[in-house]
Amino acid sequence: MSKRIAIVEDEAAIRENYADVLRTQGYQVQTYENRETATAAFSLRLPHLVILDIGLEQEYDGGFTLCQWLRGLSKTLPIIFLTARDNDFDTVSGLRMGADDYLTKDISLPHLSARIAALFRRQDALDLPTQQEHLLVSGPLSIDSQRMTIAWQQQTVDLTVTEFWMVFALAKHPGHVKNRQQLMQDSKIYVDDSTITSHIKRIRKKFMRIDAEFDCIETVYGMGYRWNDPKHTGPEED
Amino acid sequence: MPFRFGLRGKLFLLSTFLFSIPWFGYQYVWEMEKYLRYGQEQTLVGTARALATTLHDRPNLFNSHASFLPSVEKGRDLYGYQLKNPIRLDGQYRDWPNFTSRAHEYGADHLLYRDAKSTTADALTMDFKTTLGKYDKYLYLFFNITDDKVVYRAKNMINIDRNDHLELAFVDETGKFSRYLVSNKKPGWLDTYRITDLENGIPVVTPQIQGQWLDTPQGYNIELRVPLSMVGDKIAFAVHDVDQEQGKVLNTVGSADPRFAKTLGTVLVPSPEIERIVRSMRYTNSSIWVVDQHHRVLATAGDIRQAAGVWHKKSAGSDSNSWWRNLEQKWLIPLYYMVLTRPPSDFIDQLYDASNLTGKHIVGALQGAATSQWRLTQDQQAVILSAAYPIFINNQVQGAVIVEETTNGIRTLRNRALEKLFSSILAIMLLGAVAFFLFASRISSRIRTLRNQAEQAIDEHGRIKQALPLSTTNDEIGDLSRSFTTAVNRLSQYNHYLENMSSRLSHELRTPIAVVRTSLENLSMQTMPDMASAYIDRAQSGITRLNLILTNMSEATRIEQMLHTTEKIEFDFSQLLKGCVQGYQQIYPKVGFTINDGEPLKGLNFLGSPEHIAQLLDKVVANAVEFTRDSKVELAVREEKSQLILTISNNGELLPEQMQERLFDSMVSVRSSKKQEQPHLGLGLYIARLICEFHQGKISASNHHDPDGVTVTISLPLGAKS
Repeated sequence: MSKRIAIVEDEAAIRENYADVLRTQGYQVQTYENRETATAAFSLRLPHLVILDIGLEQEYDGGFTLCQWLRGLSKTLPIIFLTARDNDFDTVSGLRMGADDYLTKDISLPHLSARIAALFRRQDALDLPTQQEHLLVSGPLSIDSQRMTIAWQQQTVDLTVTEFWMVFALAKHPGHVKNRQQLMQDSKIYVDDSTITSHIKRIRKKFMRIDAEFDCIETVYGMGYRWNDPKHTGPEED
Repeated sequence: MPFRFGLRGKLFLLSTFLFSIPWFGYQYVWEMEKYLRYGQEQTLVGTARALATTLHDRPNLFNSHASFLPSVEKGRDLYGYQLKNPIRLDGQYRDWPNFTSRAHEYGADHLLYRDAKSTTADALTMDFKTTLGKYDKYLYLFFNITDDKVVYRAKNMINIDRNDHLELAFVDETGKFSRYLVSNKKPGWLDTYRITDLENGIPVVTPQIQGQWLDTPQGYNIELRVPLSMVGDKIAFAVHDVDQEQGKVLNTVGSADPRFAKTLGTVLVPSPEIERIVRSMRYTNSSIWVVDQHHRVLATAGDIRQAAGVWHKKSAGSDSNSWWRNLEQKWLIPLYYMVLTRPPSDFIDQLYDASNLTGKHIVGALQGAATSQWRLTQDQQAVILSAAYPIFINNQVQGAVIVEETTNGIRTLRNRALEKLFSSILAIMLLGAVAFFLFASRISSRIRTLRNQAEQAIDEHGRIKQALPLSTTNDEIGDLSRSFTTAVNRLSQYNHYLENMSSRLSHELRTPIAVVRTSLENLSMQTMPDMASAYIDRAQSGITRLNLILTNMSEATRIEQMLHTTEKIEFDFSQLLKGCVQGYQQIYPKVGFTINDGEPLKGLNFLGSPEHIAQLLDKVVANAVEFTRDSKVELAVREEKSQLILTISNNGELLPEQMQERLFDSMVSVRSSKKQEQPHLGLGLYIARLICEFHQGKISASNHHDPDGVTVTISLPLGAKS
């Protein structure tokens, strides 16, 4: 059964471009141009994934409202914000409301479809038993690359897809400095330096919610970031 | 800064016009004094007139005297001074006031008889000085006779005229003519004889005429008194000089020929009747004189020293205000009397001879016109006002009343008025000046506050730093302040619009770019002719560049937003610097970096946001690398006055002069267009400035020479150095 993807976007050209790409990749795509039509459709039947714009016609925060409403209906429905707004405040708000990812419209179509695929993969993987070959364990950190989940001291760290890729890229090679450019490539986003900085900050906070002592992500000023193992254990690769 | 004539100074200068008030007050009081003087003059003339009125047409007051004579002759017509003290009949003139000045000298001019045979010598061997006075009921006479040979009457000598003797002749009030001789046998009590109306030719001893004969080295003195009842207003006396024992009279010198009634001279003694009338006027506090037409004083009353003209009561000192009295007495009054003069209570006025008054006003009055005059006393201490009014008898001026007063009373009044005026004006001026000063200070401080607020509201880059507080004062300055506030608010809104321009532009452009890019991507997935794919690639590279521009544009905005929420932490600055430089070495392998950090900065803890400091370094170093000509970038860090000074220098192109200030503004770039391989919006150094300002620091760029290049100086305050 092909996945159903809903796109809520008021700009017809973009909406149709995204829809076309996703349809060629075999997804069923429904498009909605405002919150009312989307709400009406979603109350009948939920899609497998929703791509939301924040500003919808007259509603400046229509996407956020819709996201909250959707999260109320389903805890697991993958939601991606795809918007032109790239400021920190909106990013944080979007992710707080339970979106799985927050993308700006700079993203290229292949990247977008890769993220969608990844989200579906994670969604599907959650239903499957954990396979050891996808598991990367290093001290208190365990990364399930298939389910795209990260656990610290056996507790799941609630990361978005972008954040997951960043941590994954860092932790895969502990002790190696990854500069911002590399991190961008690894996490398949194109943003400016300060966005990377704020992403790293958010990741640190999420880890520190579990372990106040967490200091594995080190800032190497002028270069980038580096994952330092808390215990001296050899790096494992999958 | 040169002296500035501010609002306060101007108002203060204006307030000095207050000082003209005392001048006006002074003029006013002067004017008032003039009127007071005029009033006093009128009063004085009135007094004189009143007195003269009581004396008009009362000829009996003048009858008994020589007042009706058409002229008086000095020496023949005599004046009896009113004596104030009794005279002791001792032959000495010590108890006669002003004897030397009042006595009249009789000599050759007054020779009545000369024995032609015996006097071969021309020189007169005898002369004398005489003065007359009246005391109580007696007329006193004093003769100071100079004689080379004093001849007394011999013992048992019946003749009384064969020696030095004095002859007196009077016409008494009843008109009876009598002659008397004073002929002594020895110095001592006088022997006086009447030689008229004799029954059998024997002179009659006259004990009513009493006196003393006193020998002196020059001659002799005779002091005697005659009851006024014996003396009318006609008198003559003569001294007969005899130089031989029982000899003949050689010379006779006298006031008038005493032998006949009609040849006698006159005597004027101050009239008791007039004096009584005048004395009744003494309560006017004036000095009063009555003179006859020959300027001779008939009566006087009052003393000019007491005649202040005004009844000034002693001001009842209000002791309740004792501190004020103290202040007034100690400070104010002495201050005022540097300008004012106190009317003298002790002055000398001897313009008038007590027997004879002169002056234009008297002359005028005796010609029938009431006149008054002002004059200074002889010692120039006081001003005396005199009024003279004629006395008419049968339409003839027979005398004048002269009333005199000093202006001391008015001057005292004037002084008191001026004291009060000065005191109140001083108070008004002080209060006024203080009020003016406070008012001016308030206004200028408000204007200065407004100026400071206006200056602080906008920084040197023209950006609004803070809004002006809204003034609630309802006046012009308040209006100005409110206009400023409105202007600044509008400017602030406009600035805000401009500042958000790039972020809004980037936001607005992002959607159409996304449309184009997604369309291009979709297109590239289609099978296309080879030619078309080239165009698609070009379009895509263009879109990518546009995207880069947008990303740069939003970066500055995002940094601003992020800085708002960033918390400062403590970190090792030199560690960060070294780490960054290592990183730059990897990124720019062709460029040589050198750090020159001072010893004391090792392990320096700095409070701030390390990520942003690193970003600041990224931007500045990227700039330096871009402009370096010899592939060298020097970094130096030092501590100076609790400021961390970081300099980043490169050798190469100099900055244009006018750009040094604006270099760190948004959208400013000095790159030459040929270097523009990548889009550049001049946001890098703007972001650097934002980060510096977040750390309360400053960033500036300056040229250095030899070799030419640019140094960027970043100074950050080391507020929380641990």
